[in-house]
Amino acid sequence: MNADVLAFWVLAVVLVGSALAVVLTKNLFHAVLWLALALTGTAGVFLLLDAEFLAAVQLLLYAGGIVTIVVFAIVVTERLVGERISQTSRRIVGAGAISGSLLAMLVRTIAQQRVPPAPPDMPADLTRAVGETVLTRFVLPFELLAVLMLAGLMGAIYFARPDD
Amino acid sequence: MGLQAYLTLAAVVFCIGLFGVITRRNTIGILLGIELMLNSVNINLVAFARYLGDVTGMVFAVFAICITVTEAALGLAIVILLFRIRRTVIADQLDLLKG
Amino acid sequence: MMAGNGTLALAALLLHALAFLVLAVAAPLRRLGRPAAYVSILCAAGSLGGAVLSWRAHTGETISRLVWTWLPSEGQTLATVGVLADADSTVMLVLVALVSLLVQVYSLGYLSDEPPPALGRYYTYQSLFAFSMMGLVLAPNFLQLFMCWELVGLCSYLLIGFWYQRPAAQRAALKAFWITKAGDVGFLIGIVLLWRHTGTFDLTEMRMLADNGALPLAGLSVMMFCVYLGAVGKSAQFPLHIWLPDAMEGPTPVSALIHAATMVTAGVYLLHRTSWLFALTPDVLAIVAWVGAFTALLSAVLACVQNDIKRVLAYSTVSQLSYMMAAIGAGFSAAGFFHLLTHGVFKALLFLGAGAVIHAVHSNDLADMGGLARRMPQTAIVFIVGALSLAGLPLFAGFLSKEEILGATLAGGFMGPFLVLIVVAFLTAFYMFRVVFLAFYGAGAPAAAPAVGAGHAAVHDAHDAGAHGHATPHRVDEPTASMLLPLWVLALLSVGIGVYFTFVHPEPEFTSPAWLMPLAVGSAVAGIGLAWATYQRRAIDAARLAAAFGPIYRGALKRFWIDDLFERVYLQVILGFSRLIGWIDRYLVDGVLNVLSAWTVSAGDDMRTMQSGRAQDYVYGVAVGLLVILLWVQFG
Repeated sequence: MNADVLAFWVLAVVLVGSALAVVLTKNLFHAVLWLALALTGTAGVFLLLDAEFLAAVQLLLYAGGIVTIVVFAIVVTERLVGERISQTSRRIVGAGAISGSLLAMLVRTIAQQRVPPAPPDMPADLTRAVGETVLTRFVLPFELLAVLMLAGLMGAIYFARPDD
Repeated sequence: MGLQAYLTLAAVVFCIGLFGVITRRNTIGILLGIELMLNSVNINLVAFARYLGDVTGMVFAVFAICITVTEAALGLAIVILLFRIRRTVIADQLDLLKG
Repeated sequence: MMAGNGTLALAALLLHALAFLVLAVAAPLRRLGRPAAYVSILCAAGSLGGAVLSWRAHTGETISRLVWTWLPSEGQTLATVGVLADADSTVMLVLVALVSLLVQVYSLGYLSDEPPPALGRYYTYQSLFAFSMMGLVLAPNFLQLFMCWELVGLCSYLLIGFWYQRPAAQRAALKAFWITKAGDVGFLIGIVLLWRHTGTFDLTEMRMLADNGALPLAGLSVMMFCVYLGAVGKSAQFPLHIWLPDAMEGPTPVSALIHAATMVTAGVYLLHRTSWLFALTPDVLAIVAWVGAFTALLSAVLACVQNDIKRVLAYSTVSQLSYMMAAIGAGFSAAGFFHLLTHGVFKALLFLGAGAVIHAVHSNDLADMGGLARRMPQTAIVFIVGALSLAGLPLFAGFLSKEEILGATLAGGFMGPFLVLIVVAFLTAFYMFRVVFLAFYGAGAPAAAPAVGAGHAAVHDAHDAGAHGHATPHRVDEPTASMLLPLWVLALLSVGIGVYFTFVHPEPEFTSPAWLMPLAVGSAVAGIGLAWATYQRRAIDAARLAAAFGPIYRGALKRFWIDDLFERVYLQVILGFSRLIGWIDRYLVDGVLNVLSAWTVSAGDDMRTMQSGRAQDYVYGVAVGLLVILLWVQFG
C-alpha cells in the first residue's frame, strides 16, 4: 500500500466520520465544529488531487469564513447556555431510506463506468494555469461572479439594517 | 486511487448532507447539511479535473466556493431576520408556505 | 290513382291543424273566447266541405295515396307521412268532420258560462283533436297512425280534465290516460314486431304482401294480438273498459265527440283498416269476437243500474263498441264499420241531447229529471229519435247496421256471441227507454220517480216533490239555437240514414236467415215494452225487478268490483315498484355517489398534508422524485 492510498483512506474516514457527526449531533455548536473538521478533510482531499490552490481557498473561505459566520448566527439565534433544543426530527427513517437508496444508485452508476486510464500529467504550476483560465476563457463568468457577490453583499447589508 | 474512489467519496458525503437537510430541525442545521452537499460537489469537480487533465473543473470549483460563500452569508442573514420576527429557528414552525 | 284527390282529404286535415296552430300561438286571440271559437268553427266547416268532396271522389275502389318521406333510411325510406284516402277512410273522415263541427257549434251554447280564456283553451284542444283524429283516419302507415293515436289520447286527457280544478275530473283524465296507455304499449310492441316481420310500416305495402301470400304466418298471431291490445284500450273492451264511464267528467260535447263518435271508435277503425291482416289470424279474431260479446253484455247490465244519464250513455257506448268488435271478430269487419258510422251519428245525438237536458236541469242525475217532454219538446223528440236508433228499430239509423252485426256473428259461426248479442239488444232497448221514460215522462218530480234501487229513493225523500225539483232553481227551457241546431241535424241524419237503408239494402257479404230480422226487432220492442211497463206505467215495481236479479244487481251497483281490482293492483304493484326504485335510488345510486365523493374529500384531505409549508418536506419530496427518476433511467 503506497502513501497515496493510505492518505486517501485516512482522509476518507475523517471526512465521512465528521460529516456523519455534523448531521447527527444533538448540540448545534458541536455540529459546526465537526463541519470545520469535515471542511479541513476536504482540503486534504484537494491536496491529494494536486489542487494546492483549491486547498488553500477551501481552508480560507470555507473552514475559516463560513464556520465563523455560522457560529455567529448560532450565537445570535440560540441561547447556548441553558436549554438544549432537541434536534431529533420525525423523518429519520424516511430520510435514511431515501439517502441510502440514492447512495446505492449513485455508487452503482459510478461502478458501471469504464475504468478511466491513468491520470494524465497536470501542468506543473497549477495555480498559474487556473489563474490564466479564469482570466481568459472564463472571464465572463468571473465578472458575473463579482456582480453576484456584490448583489449578495448589498442584500446582506439590507438584511442587516436596523429596524427603523 | 482511481477516479471512482473519489466519486464514491463525494457521493457518500452528498447523501449524508441530504440526510441532514431532511432531518435537522434547526434551520442552521439545515444550512450545515447544504454546506456538506456543496462540498461534495467540489470534490467531484476537482476529481474530474485531475483525472481528465482539464483545469476547467478546478476553475469551476473555485467559482462554486465563491457562490457557496455568498449563499451561506445570505442564508444566515435570512435566518437571523426570521429569528427576529418569529423568535424561533425551528424549521417545523416556519410554515408560511403552507397551502 | 289520382294524386289530386288526396289533396282534398289533406286540406280537410290541415284546416284543423291551422286552427290549432293559430289558437295555440296567438294567445291574445285565444283568451278572447268567442272569437277563438269562431276561428275554430270556421276551419271545421271548411274541413267538412273538403271531407265531403273527398268522399264523393273516392267511392268504390278509388284510392289516393299522397305521402312525403319522413324518415329516410339506407336505400328505402323508413317512414312517410301523408294521407291514404279510400272509400272507408273518406267516409270516416266525413263522420269525424261532421261531428266535430256540430259539437263545436253546440259547445258555443253549452259552455256559454265559461270564462273566455277557458273557452279559448277548449277550442284549441278541439281543433287539435280533430286534426289528430283525421291524421289517424288517413294514416298511410302504422307510424303515423300510432302518433295520431297517442295525440288523440292526449287530447282526450286534456278535454276530460278540462275543468281541471275539480279533483274528480283530474282523476278521470289520468285514469283514461293510464288505462289506454296500457293498451298502447301492446300496440306499439305489435307495430314493431310487424315491422320486423314484414320490413315495412306502410299499410299499402303490407296489403300487397298479404294479398300475394308473401306474408309469413309464423308468429303473426302474437303480433296481431298486440295490435288488438291497442284497440282494447282505446275502444274500451274488457278489462280496459273502466276508463270510459269515468271520462264523463268532461263536458258533454266532449263526451259526444270523443267518447261516442270518434276517438273510441279508433280501435274499431284500426281493426277494420287492417282486417286483411287479421284475416290471416283467425284465432285472434275469435278472441276479438268473444271479448266483444262479453264486454257488450257486461256493460249493458251495468247500464241498467246507472242513475247518471251520461253514465248510462257511456256504458251504452262500450256495449255498442263491443257489438262492432264482435262483428269484426266474426270476420265481417264491414258490418262493424257500418255500425260505427251509424252509431257515431245517433250516439252523438244522444249525448248532445243529454247535454241539453243537463244544461237545463243543472244536474246529471235521473232523479232530478222527469216530465221534461212537456217543457223541452224539441229536445225530447230528438232524444227519442236517438233512442229508437240505438234500439235498432226500422226506419231509424241503427236498424240495418245492428241487424248486419247479428247476421255477421251468425254467419261467422259464433253461436255463443250471437245469443249474447240478442240478449244485449234487449237490454239496450230496455235501459235506453228507461232513461227516456224517467227523464222525459213521468210526474216530473224527483222523489216520485225512483230509479232502480230503493236506497236511492231514501236519499231523495228529503227533497220536496213539487213541480220543480230542488236541483232546478231556474226555469227549465229548451236549449239555445246553437245547441238545438246540431241536435236537429243529427236527428234528421239519423232518420235519413235509417229510411235510406230500410229501403236500399246493399249487397251483404253473407246471407242471413229470414228469422233474424224479426228476432232482432222483436227483442228491441220487448225491451222497450219492459221499460214502459216498469217506468211509465209502474205496472212492475222497479225495486222488485232489481231484487229478482239479486247478486247480479248488487254486483252491478259495485261495477262488479273491476275498478276496485284495478285500483288495488295499481296501489300494490306500481307503488311497491316505485318504493323499490326509490330504495335503489337512495341507497345504491346515491350511495355510490356519496361514497365516491367521500373518497374524493378524504383523498383531498390526505393530499393536503403534502402542502405542509415547510421547506424540508419539499426537499424530501424532491429527493424522492430524484430517486424515482434515477431508478427509471436505470431500470426503465
